[in-house]
Amino acid sequence: MTDQWVTFAKFGDAELVSLTGEIDLANAPEIGQAIVKRLQRAGKVLIDLRTVSFLDSAGVRLLDALVGDLSDHGTPTRLVVGERGAARMTLQLCSFREDVLATDLDRAAADLQV
Amino acid sequence: MTQELRLPWDEDPDDLYEHAPCGYLTTLPDGTIVRVNQTFLTWTGYTRGELVGHRRFRDLLSSGGQIYHETHYAPLLRMQDEVHELAFDVVCADGRQLPTLVNSTLGRDKAGQPRAIRTMIFNASERRQYEKELLLARNIAEASERRVRVLQQIVADLSAAPTEAEVAESVVRAPESAFGAASSSIYLVDTERDQIVAVASTDPTTGNWDDMPRSSPRAVARVAERGDLHVVASLTEAKEHFPDLVDSMRRSGRNTVVLLPLTTGPTDEQAGIVTLGVLAFSFKGEHQLSDGELRMVRLLGQQAGQALDRARLYDDARRREERSKFLAETTGALDEVHRLQPRIRRLLDRLVPEVADWAEVRLQVGAVPIEEQKGSPAPDTELLRQRLGQVAATGEPIFAADPDLLDCSVLPLTARGLVLGTLALRMAPDRRDAAAERAFLSDLADRAGLALENARLYEQERQIARTLQRSLLAGDLPTGDNRFAVETYYQASGQDLEVGGDWYDAFLITVDKLAVVVGDVVGRGIDAATTMGQLRSAVRALASNENGPARVIEGLDRFCERVEPARMATVAYAEVDLTTGEVAYCCAGHLPPLLQEPAGSPEFLMHARSAPIGSRAGNTHRTEHRRRLTPGSRMLLYTDGLIERRSRGIDKGFEILAREYARRRDAPLPGLAAGLADTLVGKDHADDVCMLCLTLGTEERIERTIGADRMQIALLRADLRGWLVAHGVGAEARDAVLLACSEAVANAIEHGYRDDPFGMIDVVATVTADAVEVRVTDRGTWRGPIGDVSRGRGLQLIRESMDQVLFDRSDGTTVTMRRSRGEDE
Repeated sequence: MTDQWVTFAKFGDAELVSLTGEIDLANAPEIGQAIVKRLQRAGKVLIDLRTVSFLDSAGVRLLDALVGDLSDHGTPTRLVVGERGAARMTLQLCSFREDVLATDLDRAAADLQV
Repeated sequence: MTQELRLPWDEDPDDLYEHAPCGYLTTLPDGTIVRVNQTFLTWTGYTRGELVGHRRFRDLLSSGGQIYHETHYAPLLRMQDEVHELAFDVVCADGRQLPTLVNSTLGRDKAGQPRAIRTMIFNASERRQYEKELLLARNIAEASERRVRVLQQIVADLSAAPTEAEVAESVVRAPESAFGAASSSIYLVDTERDQIVAVASTDPTTGNWDDMPRSSPRAVARVAERGDLHVVASLTEAKEHFPDLVDSMRRSGRNTVVLLPLTTGPTDEQAGIVTLGVLAFSFKGEHQLSDGELRMVRLLGQQAGQALDRARLYDDARRREERSKFLAETTGALDEVHRLQPRIRRLLDRLVPEVADWAEVRLQVGAVPIEEQKGSPAPDTELLRQRLGQVAATGEPIFAADPDLLDCSVLPLTARGLVLGTLALRMAPDRRDAAAERAFLSDLADRAGLALENARLYEQERQIARTLQRSLLAGDLPTGDNRFAVETYYQASGQDLEVGGDWYDAFLITVDKLAVVVGDVVGRGIDAATTMGQLRSAVRALASNENGPARVIEGLDRFCERVEPARMATVAYAEVDLTTGEVAYCCAGHLPPLLQEPAGSPEFLMHARSAPIGSRAGNTHRTEHRRRLTPGSRMLLYTDGLIERRSRGIDKGFEILAREYARRRDAPLPGLAAGLADTLVGKDHADDVCMLCLTLGTEERIERTIGADRMQIALLRADLRGWLVAHGVGAEARDAVLLACSEAVANAIEHGYRDDPFGMIDVVATVTADAVEVRVTDRGTWRGPIGDVSRGRGLQLIRESMDQVLFDRSDGTTVTMRRSRGEDE
């Protein structure tokens, strides 16, 4: 059961994946499976990490793989990380590409329209 | 014949010879007749000329007589010179045979040579007839005796046959041994179902051996109705009276069929006779039954009928006994389980397969309809649905009848006049007393209805109690204060019992004073849950800055004068001054709290003990005990479910609790209580378990030990986060330390302990005025530089998030990390 960490919705024409709570070694693989299963044929993807209270390297590995796969399929993707917080810190420490990070949902959605 | 009458004493010898009352023959030694008297000629119809000089005596005999003449007569005569009373049939002139007895003497000459044979012949016609009759009578008597013996054996068998089936088996074998019948079949009359049922046959291939309605025109049904023995002596007769027999008689080569009703009742009068069955037997070829045989046949019908009657009564009695035993046992079995679903399942287990091959219970009461079934095959869904609807609407049972497409009996389950649901079941076809079966099913449904209703009420009350208890325990516990942390745990009994009256509570009396309490109300169920709620509120109301624990407990003593169910509840109550770290506690009949200070062994707090709330016989002088706790101390309040086991003494329970608690002194607080419960009571425990663990103050140095289990990282992080917050470490530094620490622990699990799931990891964190230092140690094996890309990323994260990182791989791996605190919050 991954419902406590991940929920799915639509934001405009994009698939919105909202993650929350602590994402670490213990639950990252499960969460990854749940997301991949849901995003089989998504056109655009927004991953909202603003309420993630902890993100470790396993979480980073998960996001890295997700973004990589989606890009390979030509699916535009943005990670919404807010102005500050655990997820933003970890991703920045790992030097995630700035162009996939966004601070708020509207801006990320607008980015995908281009 | 006589020429003239002479006086009797003056008989003429010639006339005497000629007309003697026996025949005379004189023959030569070779048998040639030389003289014969008139009597013989009259008897045989020959003329003197035909015989004298032309025929030998033996020529006059039947072929069997001629052989006898050669083998016996002639040799005997030659040896003894005379023979007596030899029986010969003389063949008369017209071919008739004259039974005779013959005496002969052989006359010899002086040289001893045979000279002539004189033969006297008696007419034995009458005597032969008599002998024949005698023989016949003897044969008849013997046959009759044999039949009687066979019948006696059958009657003996019948009286020993306790069931209808066994009676039928005995009867069906009788006609072959008693009367030489070729085959026989037995049919029983089932008045309940208005059927005649074929139950046994010595040769089921002959005839159309199957069931039929009682009104059938077939021979068996007709004879059953009339109650008379009927012999169909030939095909012609069959054609005339019972055409249904013709085909099977012809096919199986039978020419005579006997249809014998098996009857009971007074034998001398026709009225009052009841036909219980029909025995049909048949003979190859036309078979004439003698009067004696017919008498025997009738007798067999009566004996078999009585045996059947007896067996039926016996069967019924035994069945009634079995059924009432079954009902009593079922009621007992249902009482053993309290909850609804298990009770339904228990009922179905009792019914299938013992009574039915399929059974289903549906309950329509409550929010969610319940449907349980057992056995196979399930009947047609739509037919069943209709039938269930009918029964639920009328509240009247519908029993399976012949013919019935559904073939199931459906009974309402009622209690207190309300239809709760239905019991449907399909029973094995039974030819016995259908009325008794219906009574049995009705009784069963009544008992089941009551048992299920009780279980439903129990379930309802249990649910209410459970909900009440949950809602009371789910009250908001104080959090967010760095000076303390509270962890609670509640585990309901694993044995399906009603809810207990255990509770915990923690609340702030003032901003600087925290109260914690664990208590246990006597009893179970909704009353206990309600009382628990009242006591819990009473404690909250009584606690104040002025009252200490002793006053609060005294208040509870007064409280139970008005709330009687609260009497004898046990309570452990403590107040903690968050500024000084002083704790004051009082135990009213409750198990002593267990204290673990950062250094040293765990210790049970044995002071300030007194009797349970409102105790009349115990010491209710309430006192309180105070002591100062060092920061980082943990105090555990718990109920007896945690340590009391039937299998061990309470001392042993205390000992194990202290040991397990000490073992976890460095474990993160979150999950501590659950871990203790797991170890001490396991899943299948008889009592509720309730715990409250309070951690006091902020340790300067946090030391934790966790297993190499990725699930534990989150628990450690929660503990560490609380500690960092308590020390006012800024958010940015806090997140960084948490990240680095998590990665270091993950590294130990995935790398150091990749082959050892039981490895332990020590985490020690200290905080100074300007920095946080964390040390993570494992004793796993280090196997060269880490090649895995993602673990490499973990190491990178540690380096990026901390100011200084040091790896020491001399014994396992120790990572020492340091980071400036940044801006305090």
